[in-house]
Amino acid sequence: MAVILIVEDEVFIRETAEMMIQDSGHHTLSASDVNEALSFLRSSQHIDALFTDIYLKTLFLGGCDLARQAIKLRPKLRVLYTTGNYVNDKMKALFVEGTQCLPKPYTQYQLQGCLAALLAA
Amino acid sequence: MAVSDIAASDIVETVPSALIVLDRNLNITSANRAFYQMFRTSADETEGCLIYDLGNRQWDIPALRTLLESVIPHRASVEGFEVEHDFPTIGRRTMLVNARKIFRPGDHDGFILLAIEDVSEERAARKESKRNWQLTQSIVDTIRDPLVVLENDMTIVTASKAFLTMFGITAAETHGRRVSELGQHQWDVPALRHLLEKVLPENKPIEGFEIEDDFPGLGRRVFNLNARKVSQPGNNAHRMLLVFEDITDRKQRERDALSLTNEISHRIKNNLQVIVGLIAYEAKWTAAPCVQGYKVMQARIGAIAQLYDLISQSSRGRTVAVDSYLREIAKALSASLIGNMSGIDIEVKGEPLEIDPDRAVPFGLLVNELATNAIKHAFPHGTGHIMLCVEQVGDQIELVVADDGVGMKDTGSAKVSEKRGSDYVAIFVRQLGGTIVPSKRELTGTTVRIRLPLLLVPPGGAERVAA
Repeated sequence: MAVILIVEDEVFIRETAEMMIQDSGHHTLSASDVNEALSFLRSSQHIDALFTDIYLKTLFLGGCDLARQAIKLRPKLRVLYTTGNYVNDKMKALFVEGTQCLPKPYTQYQLQGCLAALLAA
Repeated sequence: MAVSDIAASDIVETVPSALIVLDRNLNITSANRAFYQMFRTSADETEGCLIYDLGNRQWDIPALRTLLESVIPHRASVEGFEVEHDFPTIGRRTMLVNARKIFRPGDHDGFILLAIEDVSEERAARKESKRNWQLTQSIVDTIRDPLVVLENDMTIVTASKAFLTMFGITAAETHGRRVSELGQHQWDVPALRHLLEKVLPENKPIEGFEIEDDFPGLGRRVFNLNARKVSQPGNNAHRMLLVFEDITDRKQRERDALSLTNEISHRIKNNLQVIVGLIAYEAKWTAAPCVQGYKVMQARIGAIAQLYDLISQSSRGRTVAVDSYLREIAKALSASLIGNMSGIDIEVKGEPLEIDPDRAVPFGLLVNELATNAIKHAFPHGTGHIMLCVEQVGDQIELVVADDGVGMKDTGSAKVSEKRGSDYVAIFVRQLGGTIVPSKRELTGTTVRIRLPLLLVPPGGAERVAA
């Protein structure tokens, strides 16, 4: 059982993501923006993985910036990105090394599969 | 035999230059073989003849008169005196004449030795070359995009008026300087330098090298650099044409369009995510037999979303790359194969074929339906191989979805969900104007072949969009 920090600015999407992850037996923490997510990451809260949207409110690549800061704070943190945008090479170059991106719309099975692989790696 | 042993007459007869000897009255006393060959004459017609009278007075040339009567009397020798004349026997020629006074012991009048070299071809080539460069310069000045011509050593030979105007410099400030030294060294980019160095020796043109920077007096600009080797006819020297295309406005329009595409894509995908989330929520509280139906519905939405990614990267009128689309569908289906189905792998074999975006939706849904059927029914033990293949067969596209599973059972009473799946397949095939190719029942596995018209590609051919 792992602890996953979900960062998603759309309330419904965030809550369904929580449901999908909890259904596979993990605990979830939720944040709607970068600052909220950093509060969790700077705290003593145990977190195994970060599941973040890339386009966060007005920040087109907010999720990429967040993941970089998160890895500085917690170098062993696993990261899974998601986005509704086309993932081009420029965007991939901003990804933290060894991470994955799950494109939207994702199903509960795809999200659970990606997280299982990420946590097993 | 030593050189000193060779008779002077042998040397005179061997040299390729035409030689004639004149006495003080300008009568020809002798000429060599090269002279007779060059001017198509003989010793009988030549010797003793006044040079001006030679060959029907064809040597009565004002320039030659000037040389013989005004220059030679005052100088011991003249070199490189150029005479251009229409000779009746050999046509218009340019001759380079070297003249030297020769005195024999006791002879105060002396003789004049004329060495005549036909330089017509060389001069013609030089003129042609000059004309070419004048033409080049005119073209250079006419082209609206700024450009420079570079020498082998990367220094600027000439810059167009557009270049000088745009960058606010003079011709003198550019001539002999390297491009990397211009302005505030904006062009001093190692990657560009590396490419420029290959243009001449390897005849490797540069196409669309982009540089974005702040330029004095211009502000932030984006330039597209193109370079290629240019050669002069009849000259082994090569030069390079370097064109600076200002693409700032075009780049801004592209960035605006991309930003809008990203915004729309973000909203559409989030809306689709909400729908997939709603289905996931329903599936959580529904009876197990219905869950499969919800799962299939989510996969269908996923197939349309993947297509949207491909289309959103294109502009109006472009086509969708079928092979890339198949790979995206396979990737999404594979990501769903977890738990007891994780032993199923999906392979894609696709020729680079294209379909227009309007027909790509039913095509994608058709592939999704067939692959989902294979996943659902072919592998009761959760292990197997599915192949998605598309190729051109004659004037048709053949889509093959094959698996190495248990094969179709001839029960005759398909479940409602299976019946609905095959109904969808039939609808999508009809929509695409295709046919399902009947296949033999196999001992293992199932192969579905569908022939679709090649007209899935819009007429006129369009730019291909890959994933």
